[in-house]
Amino acid sequence: MKRRTFLISTFTGTAALALGTNLYLSDDLPFEDSHQNHHMIFSVLIPVFLAGALPKVPNLREESIQRTLVAIQDSIKVLPVHQAAELQELLGLLESRLGLLFLTGSMTPLMLRTHAQLINMLESWRFHFTELMMIAYQGLRELIMASYYSCPEHWGGLNYAKPNFLET
Amino acid sequence: MAIKDPVQEGLKAGWQHIDASQLKQHQAFEADVVIVGTGAGGGVAAEVLTQAGHSVIMVEAGALKSSKDFVMEERKAYPELYQQAAAMKTQDKAISIFQGRAVGGSTTINWTTSIRTPEPTLDYWASEHDVRGLSADEMLPWFEKMEQRLNIHEWQYEPNRNNLALRQGCSALGWDYTVIKRNVSGCWNLGYCGMGCPVNAKQSMLVTTIPEALAGGATLVSQAKAFKVEYQHEQVQAIKAVALDESQSKTGIELTFKAKHFILAAGAIHTPSLMMRSKLPDPHQLLGKRTFLHPSVLSGAIFKDPIYGHSGAPQSIYSDQFVWPDNPQQLGYKLEVPPIHPMLIASKTMGYGQSHAQLMSDFNQLQVTIALIRDGFSPESLGGQVQLTDNGSALNYPLTPSFWDAARRAYMSMAELQFAAGAKRVLPIHEGMPYLKSWQQAKTEIPQMDLAPLKTVVASAHVMGGCPMSEDVNKGLVSSQGRSHYIENLSVMDGSVFPTSLGANPQLTIYGMTARNATLLAEQLGN
Repeated sequence: MKRRTFLISTFTGTAALALGTNLYLSDDLPFEDSHQNHHMIFSVLIPVFLAGALPKVPNLREESIQRTLVAIQDSIKVLPVHQAAELQELLGLLESRLGLLFLTGSMTPLMLRTHAQLINMLESWRFHFTELMMIAYQGLRELIMASYYSCPEHWGGLNYAKPNFLET
Repeated sequence: MAIKDPVQEGLKAGWQHIDASQLKQHQAFEADVVIVGTGAGGGVAAEVLTQAGHSVIMVEAGALKSSKDFVMEERKAYPELYQQAAAMKTQDKAISIFQGRAVGGSTTINWTTSIRTPEPTLDYWASEHDVRGLSADEMLPWFEKMEQRLNIHEWQYEPNRNNLALRQGCSALGWDYTVIKRNVSGCWNLGYCGMGCPVNAKQSMLVTTIPEALAGGATLVSQAKAFKVEYQHEQVQAIKAVALDESQSKTGIELTFKAKHFILAAGAIHTPSLMMRSKLPDPHQLLGKRTFLHPSVLSGAIFKDPIYGHSGAPQSIYSDQFVWPDNPQQLGYKLEVPPIHPMLIASKTMGYGQSHAQLMSDFNQLQVTIALIRDGFSPESLGGQVQLTDNGSALNYPLTPSFWDAARRAYMSMAELQFAAGAKRVLPIHEGMPYLKSWQQAKTEIPQMDLAPLKTVVASAHVMGGCPMSEDVNKGLVSSQGRSHYIENLSVMDGSVFPTSLGANPQLTIYGMTARNATLLAEQLGN
């Protein structure tokens, strides 16, 4: 199987099995805005993945989320082509009703779910019996964690700073 | 503070460097020897052959960077200096692989650990893989030569606390440990070797052999990815390459390299995949198979006092207590520590939300020990296989029962060591694993861990094999001197020729073997 199509083919295979028909994801119209680099999905997931790490003060928290969104786009830009393609497929699924149903068992858009519901969703992927769901969880987790902690603005809580001799 | 930058100085002095990303037309080059790859193998080969009076061209897919680019930030280093932005994984995504992609190859970003090939490994190669001329005695002068060339000496300063914990644990338990030899000169003890040395203390190929070769008249073509070896009548006719832009996309410009002799030194994934894509002779179906990784598992530990695992020489102590177990059916493992920087530790540990935030809040109290599992020394340990894909190549590496057996023993050893060193809590890096509060608890919990791909974090920074050497054509594609058994004017000089893994960090093995093989080649070409 070609790597680039593994998510689509696996999910559509599952869908076809469940519904007794062939599915083409391009026919499954997205109901959420997918034009802004999947910002909506990440805006929903960042507070869950980074609970306890994000600042508590609302405006600082929002600033940190926005900074992480930018860092995520920077991370995606440097991903290898095949990994970026797989990620886009996953994000596309999370933006479509049928994709959400197959991935999470519910068509409720992510932005309408509670924090607890989102944790349940991630936990079900994290400990799922299929490799595919675990990979989906790990892919999002690594992307968000690496992007957040790539930013020097987010190192304050770690008491970590690079040496500054180059700047003197 | 201004740092002396030998790369910038060399360019100003007139080095023959061609940045292929800037080329507007197809171009052809010719030399006595063309070398693909500029890592530990390519760099040493370039210096040896240039000094022997041969004209040399080095072809490198990565960019030419220098200390001015090494700003000690992961977000810049990983995309610019690592294969696949440090996001490379095996085909099933169960093992993360860290490999360099820049002029200097992995030597530009490694942690400077320099260990001679273990004698049992050389003996095993001789007895089981028909390797000749590489006994410990025969290799001794080559190791000494390269240790002198690259200023490889035992680290003279106190280990950082991350390494100190390894030493303390070993001392408390009466286990073997060794002070590491490092290829550094005037090291500032910063801890950022993995992001490119900002002060040019690391004696990587970037600041040693490559500058020497360029000063001697060699040519470097960077951002040129070799994609085909053209051969006819048992002779390579040319190597074709494509120019890459900054984002590693093809620019459409094609380069042709002709030479009397060609050396492949692109590392143990890219050398075999280039040979496979070129359909080079492989009558015994060896190419790409038996690729080894030293697949490594990790154990975190929280100490009361700060560890500051990001600061100081990343590796200065190792333990070989468990590398060569009495039971030859068991895989052994080497204990080391990695540097601890935020991006990597955040993404390669487990969990999210509050538990992960808690782990990160203990960032400076965190000690990490790694166990590098010595793969390839038993019939069950066959390693992985490089496979061609639409986008290049992928490594299929099944994690076998013998690997998991070693991983479980390694988790036990690491927990015992960390508690003996004074850890308050130990965290085997495995999905869903809780903090262990005592060695007693570790002895109960670790045997119950459901170790499995994706659940257990496995990583590798040592890719080896895939184009093995042997005097027996049934076992090897190249001779013990790295010469192809099938193509007269082709050699391989990188870690892909290893018949197994090493049980030690590979750079010094590649330096020593290449110094020997390139010297022999220079003599043969001279004749």
